[in-house]
Amino acid sequence: MQLATSAEALAGRELERIARALAYFGGVVLISFAVMTVLSTIGRAFVGLQIGLGPVPGDFELVEAGTAVAVFCFLPWCQLKQGHVTVDIVADHLPARVNLTLILIGNVLVLIVAFVVAWRLWMGFGEQVTWFSQPVRDMLGFGYKPFTNNTTYVLGMPLWYSYLLSFIGAAFFALVSIFTVWRALNDLLGRKE
Amino acid sequence: MSGFEISLLGFFVMLGAIFLRMPIAVAMAVTGFVGSWIIRGSPTAVLSQLKSLSYDLFSSYSLSIVPMFLLMGQFASKSGMSKTLFDTASDWLGHRKGGIAMAAVGACAGFGAVCGSSLATASTMGQVALPEMKKRGYSDQLSTGVLAAGGTLGILIPPSVILVIYAILTEQNIVKMFLAALIPGILAAIGYMLAVTVYVRLYPDSATKAERVTYGQRFRSLWRVWPVVVIFGLVMGGIAGDWNWAQDGVQALFTPTEGAAWGAAATGLYGLWTGGLNRTAIMECIRSTASTTAMIFLILLGAQLFNSFLAVTQMPQLLADWVSGSGLSPIMVLLIMLVAYLAFGCVMDSLSMILLTIPVFFPIIQALDFGMTAEATAIWFGILALIVVEVGLITPPVGMNLFIINSMAKDIPIQRTYHGVMPFLVSDIIRVALLIAFPAISLWLVTALF
Repeated sequence: MQLATSAEALAGRELERIARALAYFGGVVLISFAVMTVLSTIGRAFVGLQIGLGPVPGDFELVEAGTAVAVFCFLPWCQLKQGHVTVDIVADHLPARVNLTLILIGNVLVLIVAFVVAWRLWMGFGEQVTWFSQPVRDMLGFGYKPFTNNTTYVLGMPLWYSYLLSFIGAAFFALVSIFTVWRALNDLLGRKE
Repeated sequence: MSGFEISLLGFFVMLGAIFLRMPIAVAMAVTGFVGSWIIRGSPTAVLSQLKSLSYDLFSSYSLSIVPMFLLMGQFASKSGMSKTLFDTASDWLGHRKGGIAMAAVGACAGFGAVCGSSLATASTMGQVALPEMKKRGYSDQLSTGVLAAGGTLGILIPPSVILVIYAILTEQNIVKMFLAALIPGILAAIGYMLAVTVYVRLYPDSATKAERVTYGQRFRSLWRVWPVVVIFGLVMGGIAGDWNWAQDGVQALFTPTEGAAWGAAATGLYGLWTGGLNRTAIMECIRSTASTTAMIFLILLGAQLFNSFLAVTQMPQLLADWVSGSGLSPIMVLLIMLVAYLAFGCVMDSLSMILLTIPVFFPIIQALDFGMTAEATAIWFGILALIVVEVGLITPPVGMNLFIINSMAKDIPIQRTYHGVMPFLVSDIIRVALLIAFPAISLWLVTALF
């Protein structure tokens, strides 16, 4: 008595591909901003020579935005691989079925958290932009229109860039969490090898 | 129910959930959320806070150190540094009885200088040192015990991910925290080597001697560890060195984040050069960094929600007032806290423990008089907490390092590892006592440089 095991396996494979791609994307973002930071400090060291070298303007803003995007893109991978820390010492002494139930409940809680985070992040994204008329904004959950698009201080880079990329990561986190609930449920119902 | 009672209830509900296998991050997030909801009577405040909370937290400049140090540690473990360090240390120490085990400690300390995580240090050094000790007839107890203990050097010796988190939570200077950890970290390495010496006296069959290596050979192999020295010097020198004596204060080259970026880039380049970092290895590094980073940041988010719930109930402040009015001596309070860490460390991971306890413990510590400035107390307490929490990684029955090492040596029953780690636990306890008795061990380097 299980829920569509072959569909689950297929969804698992597809989600793993996407989550992996997102993790690589986040990794590339992280590495490139590390390299950018290194170049920026080298540039800063040569400021005094007046040969046109200097720090990358707004380097710390880029690092901040980049870290947020990278972390959000890492979340689906971690969830798919069950990378979150749990304390197993008590539960290990409980019967297997109880444990599978606990794992299912844990996954449901992750799903709730992931959903709330993604949902609120979407609204946070809406608050960064002046798009659309108020009725449309209300429908999308974008809240009141700010006077201008919010931007970073030095570069003037619109914050919605990084909010949107972060939201993509958060949305996939929620999607993967739905899948892990499904997977945990099938584990509980008993899997036929 | 008063706010204080609700916060206590929340605390126990959360602990109960954690022990029932709920992911720690989620247990904290959900209890924090529901708790704030109950206190405020509606979820609106938390919900509107959440619109920017996760993004603001994940995009904080000081936290960006964490993924960069994690990446650096991953690169380091693939670059072949661990093997070089171990070979060099073996050349210098191997001819003594138990020398290869001491070499493993030395190599762990060296690796800890480029890696900020205990688990990564334990597993990387385990891959190199376990087969070698087995080949040379070291006992199962000694070889697994020394590696589990040596792994904790990864986080004691800066850079250290936990110290970064502690510094951010308590608003301390990260550079000062790193400096304060350096001497206790070196002491730890020496203490572990002494523990090996004592252990092989007690159990002479547990170790062998290797052949003595000539000094010419020793210095040639010492030369090969230059990348570790250069990278550690670059990161620590860059963030803690004073590069402009003409101006007051420390004029460092980098911010800690920039130092971490340099460390990651330099380690990566070295790995590319040795060929350890090929395409597959880089992909693997990114995947492990992704998993660990996401795990840490989700716990940070959960802790943020939980702690803002605690803050609304004013529980930490009330508790601090109560403790300082209770007539307990400051040292007594400190000891109670450290024992609590040891007890929890037997079952919980170090990061979650720091995140859960510091918001409650830190105001108490700050309210007590240890005869030092507030900053010195904060740094000293941070180092003590870090060490005790790390001891938790090697205390049976649940020490993450014990499990990591044991999973690499599947033929060795875990009881032998439990037995082998005992001398190192004793060495840890003695060191903690020394650090409590002489705060200067932690603080001297900070005062000398700043």
